[in-house]
Parts: sequence; C-alpha cells; structure tokens
Amino acid sequence: MKQKVIIWLSLILLLVVVAFMVKDFFYQPKSSNENPYEYKMDKLRHIDSSLITYIEVHQIKPDIEVLHGIVIDKSDNIYLAGKDRVMIYDFELNLKTSFKIGIEAKCIAVGDDSKIYLGVNDHVEVYDNIGTKLKSWSPINVKSVITSIALSEKYVYVADAGNRIVYQYDTEGTLQKEIGKKNPEKGIQGFIIPSPYFDLLIGREGELWVVNPGRHQLESYNEKGDLISSWNKTSMDVEGFCGCCNPSNIAMLSDGSFVTSEKAIERVKIHLPSGEFKCVVASPDKFVEGTHGIDLAVDSKDRIYVLDPEKKMVSIYVKKK
Amino acid sequence: MESSDKKKKGGLSRRDFINSSIRFSVILGIGAIGGKLLTRTQVRQMVWQLDTSKCIQCGRCATNCVKTPSAVKCVHVYSMCGYCDLCGGYFRPEVKELTTAAENQLCPTSAIRRTFVEDPYFQFDIDRDLCNGCGKCVKGCGAFGNGSLQLQVCHDLCDNCNECAIARDCPADAFSRVPSDNPYLFSGYDSKKKG
Repeated sequence: MKQKVIIWLSLILLLVVVAFMVKDFFYQPKSSNENPYEYKMDKLRHIDSSLITYIEVHQIKPDIEVLHGIVIDKSDNIYLAGKDRVMIYDFELNLKTSFKIGIEAKCIAVGDDSKIYLGVNDHVEVYDNIGTKLKSWSPINVKSVITSIALSEKYVYVADAGNRIVYQYDTEGTLQKEIGKKNPEKGIQGFIIPSPYFDLLIGREGELWVVNPGRHQLESYNEKGDLISSWNKTSMDVEGFCGCCNPSNIAMLSDGSFVTSEKAIERVKIHLPSGEFKCVVASPDKFVEGTHGIDLAVDSKDRIYVLDPEKKMVSIYVKKK
Repeated sequence: MESSDKKKKGGLSRRDFINSSIRFSVILGIGAIGGKLLTRTQVRQMVWQLDTSKCIQCGRCATNCVKTPSAVKCVHVYSMCGYCDLCGGYFRPEVKELTTAAENQLCPTSAIRRTFVEDPYFQFDIDRDLCNGCGKCVKGCGAFGNGSLQLQVCHDLCDNCNECAIARDCPADAFSRVPSDNPYLFSGYDSKKKG
C-alpha cells in the first residue's frame, strides 16, 4: 500500500516537472516584447472632438507625382504645383488646365493678372495660366531654399529658408529689399529656421505676415520692412505650437484669423488675429504620421483647402453647421 | 662502385634527397606562414553597425546588450540640430515649463545636458556615462525636430560579440556586420561631405 502511494506521488511529481519544462521551452512571457522606454505620443495626438468645428466635404486627387503647393486666385480657381506639373481647377473642382513645367516647384503664387509664380529651389519662374514660361529670375545664391511666395499689389515676396530672409522683388524680378534680418534696434529678432518650413502671406491690409517657426511666432511687416506686430504660442498643448519648426504653413480667413498647419503633430487649427487658439480644422488622425509640409489655402467663401503631400490630395473643409 | 656510377649519371643519393626535402619543407612552411600573416593583415575586422534610418527606437538596445549600461548610445549630430528651446528630444511631451527640472526631462537617466547659447538657442550634449541607449530622446527628436539625436554602437565600449544580443532581437533588422574602417552610419547627414 505504502509503495503504491510512493509510485503515484512520483508520477505526479514527474508530470509537474514535465509540464514546467514544456512551459519553459515553448511559452515566453508576453512582457519580453514590451518597451519599458516607450515614448507615448497618444495624448498629444488626441484632440477633444468638441474642438473640431470643421468638416471635410470634398477632395481633389490630382494626377501628379509629387505635390507641394496650393494657391487660390480671386476667382476661386485652385492652382496646384509639384513635380513637373501645374494643375488648375475651377471652383467646382473641375480640372481646367494642366501643364508640364519640367522642374519641381516647391511653392506657388498667382497674381491678379493670372501670372503664376513658382518657387524652384534657388529661383522663381513665371508662367502664364496656359503654361507658357514668361521669365526665369536669377538664382539667389547656393544657400537659397525658396519655400513660399506671396504677392501684394506692388511686390513679390519670396521666403528663403536657406538664407533665413524674406526678399522683396518688384514684379519684374528686381530685388528691392531684404526683410527680417536681425536688427535689435528695430525690434527684429531674426528668423530661426531649423528646417525648410518658412511660409508667408499677405494680410487684409496688404501687410506681410511671416512665420518665424523656430520661435513659434508670426510676424507682420510693412512694405518698408518694419516690424508691425507679432504673436507667438509655444506649447505642447493644442493651444500652441511645438517642435523645431511650427507652424509649417499658414493661410488667412476673411476675418483675419490664421489657419495654421503643423508637422510632428499633424493638425490644422485656427488662431484668432491676436494669436489665441480658436478651433481645430483637421485632427492628426486625418494624416499619415510623419507628414510634413501641409500647405493651406482659403477661398472667398472661407472654405479651407488642406494639401496633404503624403496622400497627394487636397481636402476641402467647411465650418460645421 | 655502383653508387658512384649513379651519382655520375645524375641520380640522387638518399642523403641528398632528405636534405632537399627538408629545405623544400622549410621554404614551403615559411611561405605558408608568411602568406597566412599577409592575408590576415589584409582581411578587415568586422564590427556591428546600427543603421539609424531603420531604427524604430524599440528600447532593446538598452535592455538586451551584454554590457551594462549598453554599448549603444545616443550620439548628437550637431550639424543637423536646430538648437531649439522647446526640444522634443529633451522635454517630456506634457512639459509645462521649459526648465531643466528633472520632472520636465524625457531622458530616464538625465543623460542630456541643456546649455543656453544665445536667444533662442540651446545646445544639447549627451553624457555617455549616463546614456543607456533607450532611444527615447531619438524618437522625440525625430518626431518634433530634425532627427539630430541618433543611436549608434560605440565601438570603444562594444565587446563586438560574434552573435550580438541586440542584433539578434532587433525587430527592425537595423544591425549588420560591416568593415571596421566605416563603422558609423548616420541618417540625413553626409559624413563624407562634412567631415
């Protein structure tokens, strides 16, 4: 009897040992793949849905290899520029014209006379609206990286991220002035451009607005190059801008509010003319993580056009009713 | 009489044959050793290289290296840095104040030093003794900045194991064996151009 008990106990013990060995050989604890040092950005990428007051209503999916820039003229025609091509759509999003340019345009602007200005690395090229090349301006210098062009009634303003300066040209391409050079006496701090995101626009009064992305600041200048005003918002929260170069792009609504786009946390927001955060247009979940250079435009009805270079398309947003 | 005839006819005596064989063997041996040494000097030593463009900052460089702390460290490519005040590689995402207080720092070992240069620039230096190669700052810098913080195998610290424990478990397959004369590979930076 005693011997039987010992045999049974030995068998049970053997089974336990075998089970332990099987577990040890074939099952690994789940925690071995966890990263104890994980950088969690979920909180930053999450946006309270009550802050999103715009809705996407249309999309343009142009047949273009690389898409960089968007601009809208006074008749609400939409101009898209990128690698080797300029495409023009009417207000109803029908393709009007498309022409080859043989170069990669990084930014685009259009004048009241329908002349198209393209920023191509270190120089500007001018086309008419059927694709005839009118002029190629002289290259600025080897450091030059043109990232944005804006047109006032008299001047063409060119943002050069490489030289960290804004150039004021006349419409024939003659350099008139350099704007934004550090000048403490005039209260100009100088542009901080850690990466090639340096946008500008012409405001409602004809003033020039320039992004100073390294300072998370927007600065306005008159045509003499004097600083008029500025505002900045540095914050990791949705109310401000973070990272090395934000906002990456800007546009202006009819009430003077700024539409801003950011990289790192890809989102499009609206800030009041004073700089206070107003609302969100497009949240980070609308973009592929890592999307850079989300260009913006606004039409006469305050519809917001968001160019997504990663998805190679333009999304059109209107205010929720 | 018979043997002297053979000699005269040009045949080898046993003694001559043994002597020639020994000389030939010695020359052959010296040649073989010399050749072996020569080829050894010509074969380059291989080391482990981390391709930063593939790295996904999974944290295994910190946890899997046989060295403590890891021989993989964060290296700062200063020429790519924006010298930002609000540095995504230095500050935690939810930071409220841009100060060097420990609660604001992203690095779990406080291995990054922040020094004011001039308004609005700050310099960030890595303390190698403290860095454990976790890659948290690399992810922050890549997401918000220019990606100037990059993980690299420090070859003065690396044991150069035949089977690297990090390389074996790297989910991005970012490690490879390369000749020791070109051991580092940075992304977004032309080392040949900038020296």
